[in-house]
Amino acid sequence: MHEGAITSQIVENVLREAEKRKAKSVLEVHLEIGKLMFLNPEQVRFWYQMLTKNTILEGSKLMIEEKEGVVKCPKCGYQGDFKYINDDPAFHVPTPTLNCPKCDGTVEIIGGKECLIKKVKMLI
Amino acid sequence: MNIKDVIRAEEGEIFDIELDENVLKANAKLAQQNRELLLKHGVNSIDVMGSIGAGKTSLIEKMVEKLKTRYRIAVFKGDLTTTIDAEIISRHGVDVIAINTGKECHLDANLVHKALKRLNLKMVDLLFIENVGNLICPAEFPLGSEKRIVVISVTEGPYMVVKHPFIFMDADVVAINKVDLAEAMEVDVTKLGGDVKKINPKAAVVATNCRTGEGVNQVIAALKL
Repeated sequence: MHEGAITSQIVENVLREAEKRKAKSVLEVHLEIGKLMFLNPEQVRFWYQMLTKNTILEGSKLMIEEKEGVVKCPKCGYQGDFKYINDDPAFHVPTPTLNCPKCDGTVEIIGGKECLIKKVKMLI
Repeated sequence: MNIKDVIRAEEGEIFDIELDENVLKANAKLAQQNRELLLKHGVNSIDVMGSIGAGKTSLIEKMVEKLKTRYRIAVFKGDLTTTIDAEIISRHGVDVIAINTGKECHLDANLVHKALKRLNLKMVDLLFIENVGNLICPAEFPLGSEKRIVVISVTEGPYMVVKHPFIFMDADVVAINKVDLAEAMEVDVTKLGGDVKKINPKAAVVATNCRTGEGVNQVIAALKL
């Protein structure tokens, strides 16, 4: 949903790092994006291409690692994927719930909301 | 010798730089500051989110009417443009600050921070922050409020909850509004409430009619006000 704004922030942050280190060019940018974020990697890539034009990031590789949603149950200790409901064929994507798949507890989300610049490869 | 290609070493050296930088940390940090500021002044705060035209403003109006003798209330009213709703709420005799986002589809912690600076927090016990009508983006931008209520209405059809599961995961209370129109809309309110409970069993679900005030006391109780 905010791919433009967030990608622009990513480019800005990488540029700042590159300038700090007096880099000649940036070769790779590694991102980690949680699947629970409303960020579509395809649109992030589109914006990345647009926003890096005429910068030392132009032509750099954008690597996006998508992170699955992870929940944890405080009651039984379950850790892993959501419990999904998909009783309606109209939905192609099952609906995640906060119900524990193992017991009747309510889980907490502990992963899948990442939006990180993990690593940048630059020529210095 | 037949030279096929010449490989030139690039000048300089290639470095891998580990950043681990959270792109959304600016908002998260400001949200935390908002929370601390509110707590310091003993202000209870509620983020009112929900779809466009679901009745967020009407619910706030009804709650303000019932609560204004018990609490000193202030309201932040987020909208892309216009102060129409802000004026409607201010007629109930409470302080309202309109936050116009211009084009942005949600409030963020920075805008709320700016609005907080305009309020005399010593004179406020309870703050309602009405977000821009939207079931998607506000889930991603915490504002620093204590509790979150999501308002939907039966006129949006029977699938509003399952189509936007993430905003309901963050909700403490969900109001299903315009229940007087449920029959005409052929929407099963119990089923809609059941969808919320399936996604987030901790959320309190209340059926409301903000025209008449039906259910508003239950919303207030669910918010522990």
